[in-house]
Amino acid sequence: MAAVYLTHHQKVLRLYKKSLRHIESWCIFRDKYRFYACLLRARFDENKHEKDMVKATIMLKAGEEEFWANQHPQPYLFPDSPGGTSYERYECYKVPEWCLDHWHPSEKAMYPDYFAKREQWKKLRVQSWDREVQQLQTETPADGPKSEALPPARKEGDFPPLWWQFVTRPRERPM
Amino acid sequence: MASRALAYCVRSVARSSARLNHGNVLTRSACAPVVSNQRLLSVISCSQRTRWTELVRISGPSVHLCRHYGDLPPLTLESIKERVMYVLKLYDKISPEKLQTSSHFMKDLGLDSLDQVEIIMAMEDEFGFEIPDAEAEKLMTPAEIVQYIADKKDVYE
Repeated sequence: MAAVYLTHHQKVLRLYKKSLRHIESWCIFRDKYRFYACLLRARFDENKHEKDMVKATIMLKAGEEEFWANQHPQPYLFPDSPGGTSYERYECYKVPEWCLDHWHPSEKAMYPDYFAKREQWKKLRVQSWDREVQQLQTETPADGPKSEALPPARKEGDFPPLWWQFVTRPRERPM
Repeated sequence: MASRALAYCVRSVARSSARLNHGNVLTRSACAPVVSNQRLLSVISCSQRTRWTELVRISGPSVHLCRHYGDLPPLTLESIKERVMYVLKLYDKISPEKLQTSSHFMKDLGLDSLDQVEIIMAMEDEFGFEIPDAEAEKLMTPAEIVQYIADKKDVYE
């Protein structure tokens, strides 16, 4: 998402998705859900060519209120989604990568290839850090960054800024 | 972490009894369920930095050291791609002949943004995890979807 504010288009799509999910929670049989989903899609489709933004906003607000009135009290949530059963379950096992540096040498000797490669990566990181900072400083506008997205690497043989955090991020399901 | 300790125990047991029971073990492991073998392999291969690269199984009474939690077989990029394409071919607004991994939903296949939302919901149902809206609205080709799912599920990262 580029900016903090959502566009009308995005709001309509989010309303569509969450109302479909709540219909799925209400209608547990798949054919019934499919029927009501098609009806909802038809309702969205007949108004989708509205050019007048005032009317469109009023319709969106009416749609949100209808959603609020008809929502399911316990909608189906995926285990990994916020509010689900295994949301952030493995967060405590996601150890940051600098802890690897604190291993005892006898433990590090159990994985010699990995730690050798790790030393090379750390050297790369030290070398490219100044260039990354400089790239970020040149590319950020004067009154602060506009969004959270980082720019890609501009020059050949250069790394994208703050690549180390991305590359060494913990796995989604730590072992 | 527990699995690493288990793997260590497995390795030490295996090291001691591998040479003796190599023949027996292979027959016994052949009749063990496939999932357990995959799990065992994955545990051993993930800690593969030791010298222990051959497929050594454990013998007799200690063969059930590894717990097989209710887990799915590990995903590969090809399997994700196949599943994504299968789900897309089932969608009635897409003709299967025109579908490629790089076909853009809006430009090449002529779909709507509401259709794209439905496709992303189908992907969520298929793979069992939620794709947040901020990132879902950017996924416009099957290749991007495969890449995103591989990203989230740590597949050949």
